[in-house]
Formats: sequence, structure tokens, C-alpha cells
Amino acid sequence: MNEYLTVDPRTAMLLAIADDELVTGHRHGHWTGVAPSLEEDLAFSTISQDEINHADVWYSLIASARDPEGTGDARRTVDELGLGRPPEAYRHAVLCERPPRDFAYTLARHWAYDHADAVRLAVLADSKDAEIAAVATKLLHEERYHLEHADHWFRRLAHGGDTAAGELAAGLEAALPEALWLFEPLPEEDQLVADGLLPAYSASMLVRWLEIVAPALEAADLGGTLPAEVELAGTDWVLPEAHFAEQGGRYGHHTADFTEDVWPEMTSLYRAHPGASW
Amino acid sequence: MSHVATVPDLAAVEAAVAGVPDPELPPVTLGMLGMVHDVRVDDDGRVAVELLPTFSGCPATEMMERDVVSAVSEVEGVAAVAVRFRFDPPWTATRITPEGHARLREFGIAPPGGAVPGVAPAGRRTLPLALAGSSPESTVRHCPYCGSDRTERESAFGPTPCRDIRFCHACQQPFEAFKDL
Repeated sequence: MNEYLTVDPRTAMLLAIADDELVTGHRHGHWTGVAPSLEEDLAFSTISQDEINHADVWYSLIASARDPEGTGDARRTVDELGLGRPPEAYRHAVLCERPPRDFAYTLARHWAYDHADAVRLAVLADSKDAEIAAVATKLLHEERYHLEHADHWFRRLAHGGDTAAGELAAGLEAALPEALWLFEPLPEEDQLVADGLLPAYSASMLVRWLEIVAPALEAADLGGTLPAEVELAGTDWVLPEAHFAEQGGRYGHHTADFTEDVWPEMTSLYRAHPGASW
Repeated sequence: MSHVATVPDLAAVEAAVAGVPDPELPPVTLGMLGMVHDVRVDDDGRVAVELLPTFSGCPATEMMERDVVSAVSEVEGVAAVAVRFRFDPPWTATRITPEGHARLREFGIAPPGGAVPGVAPAGRRTLPLALAGSSPESTVRHCPYCGSDRTERESAFGPTPCRDIRFCHACQQPFEAFKDL
């Protein structure tokens, strides 16, 4: 399995996206049966199902590149990619592995993450890799429902009185600094951009994301929750390049929330029965 | 399953694929939902079917694959069936046929369309992503029971990824709607 520790740039990019979705899906799934209302139980269960299946679709692009003739068992490769890697071979952002904490934190993270995912999918829809472009275009249609759900709750809590707004602010203060790491530069990003696989740098996707979330925060009187490192220079949002000097999730660096919590639980069945068909 | 080299009739194969019921919505078929992208038959009796999933995460796709293989295998001369799901062009609700609309309505599910029509060129993103502001909540669906447009969406998430939950104020009836994609 250590073959997944050193991978080509395309695979590293697809793993970053797929792992974000897989781990987000697992964390959202923790609300199944215990969400504050039946509607939210359904919402988070559905979003969880969507995200885990989106991960499956992204993994399948890695599987098909490894087996262009389609002679092998693609299902098995996808399962191995999703569940058969050691923790340090997962490339999701640390934000995704954090426990759901309370409902306000869950909603704050959901809002930050799904806006980031939308920015990323819009960029990838123009990828020169036809498979990546087709998947991104398809998923953009579906993710619209996640964004709408996240925006609805953002407005509802932000304008729902002092307690609700205060809880949301606390959730955002915890989630937003780690959300910046969704835009940690990918391994060999220069090559990905030069080849047109990734039509925009992570740094420019971060700016697009800030152009969406920062005005929304300001309008909701939550501008103070934006991380202090992010600055407005004239009309442009800037994050000092040194912010990503140390490597994070995109390079397999995770916290105990993943290595000792999500990963053992998520992979336990697969590890007990390697190669089983589901 | 056949033995002699009869070349399968393309129209019969296409009809078999199109007639497969949606496992989660049996009154409508894959053909009515507009999920069939391409059907090819070669001289050796091998059939290749390409389907467009409604939602990529639809758990029914594996059942559909199995049902398509089973239905097509009944056609004379068919030696093998390969089913592939593809995302390009993306499935959109505009692919549902008029018959599909009627069947969904009979089943108590409001079909998409209505207030927001519009067909985009194949392969292009058909719906602008609502990054902030505009929302499909404004898409009014007519109640499948009484036809009223005095309905509202209660939840964007329903019993399957492709359906949401609505309520009709005219006949006081909850109902499901097929999502716009």
C-alpha cells in the first residue's frame, strides 16, 4: 500500500479532492440519527452519502488511469484507494477530519467547505483532462444543493438572535483558519497548471473563495471571524505565501482526529476483510 | 441467450434497455428518465450500453446495471452485455420525456420543469451554480394531486438523492418532487 505515499501529480490532486470528500462524508454521517431535527437528519445523511459517492467517482478516475484497458477489477481498486491506504497516504485537508463538535461548528465548516468545493469544481470543469472536466461538471450540479443548505443555515443562524449568531461565530472562528488549508498548494502544482489539468493555482482559488465568503461574513456582521492572516490590500484579498511554508494535509500530515479516530473507524471493516466485495 | 450467430436487432436491444424500470421508482423506466445515452450492437452479439446517472451517488446504479444486463440478455442473438455509466453529457431533468413526466405525476412525484424551463447545449453546464443569493427554492412545482401551484418546498433532501419534499397548501398534501439538476 505504500505505493500510495509517492504518486504522480495527477493522482496526488485527485486523492486530495477525493479524500476531502470521503472524510467530510464520514464526519457528516455522524449526525445520522442524532441531528437536531428529522429534516437535518435527512439533510446530513444525504450530503454524507453524496460526498462519499463523489469520492468514489474521483477514485475511479485514478483506477481507470492505472488500468486503461479496463481488464482489472476497478471496483476493487476504488475500494483499496478509499479504504486500503495507511493514514499518512491520505491527502485531505485537516479541516475535514475534525469531529463535528456541535451543530454550529458543523454548519460553519459545511459552509466554508462547500463554498471551497464549489470554487474548485468550477475551475476543474475547464480542466484539459476530459474525464476530470466531465466529473467536475456533473458534481457542480449536485453540489448546488449542499451550498444552498449551507447558505440557508448561515443566514438563519447569523440573523437568529445573539445566541445563534454567537454559536455560529464560535464555529467559524474554529473552522475558518483550517479552511484556508483547503487551498494548500498541491504537490507539483506548477506542472498541473502548466499541463492544464488544474486550470488555476490553489492561491487563486483561495482568492476566489475569499471573494465569496468575506463579503458574506461582513454582511452578517461576522467579519471578525475571518483569520487575521488574511488581509485586504486595496480590493484584493491576500494571504502571505509563507502561510503554507510547512506541509499540511495535502502531503499526508494529519492529526489524531484522523489517525486515531476517523481512519480506524472508517477502515475497520476493510482491514478485517481485505478485498471483500460489498 | 443464443447459440447461433444471429445479429441482435438494435431496435429490440434499445427497447429492452429503455424499458428497464428505475429500481427506486418502478413506474418510470430508464428510457422515460432520459438516462440512456448510447446503445451499440456488434456482429458478434456484444452489446455496449452507456447510461447517464441522475445523481452520481445514486445507490441504485448497480441494480440498474444488473437489470439492464438481464433485460438485454433476453434479446435473441445477444452474447454479452457491457454497461457503462458516464458523466458527459451530464444528466439533467430536461431529459425526462413527456411520458416520464406523466408517470411521475401519477406516482405522486412532481416532475421538474414548469416554472424554470430551458434547454442548454449538450455537454455544457446547464445550471449556474448559486454561489450566493439566488436559489432554486423559487422553482414552483404544481401539486401532483390537485395541480395547484400554491406549494412550497419543505426540505431539499428527501428519500433518495434525486427527490425533495414539498407541501401543497391547496389540498394540504405533502408530496415529493424530482430535483432539477
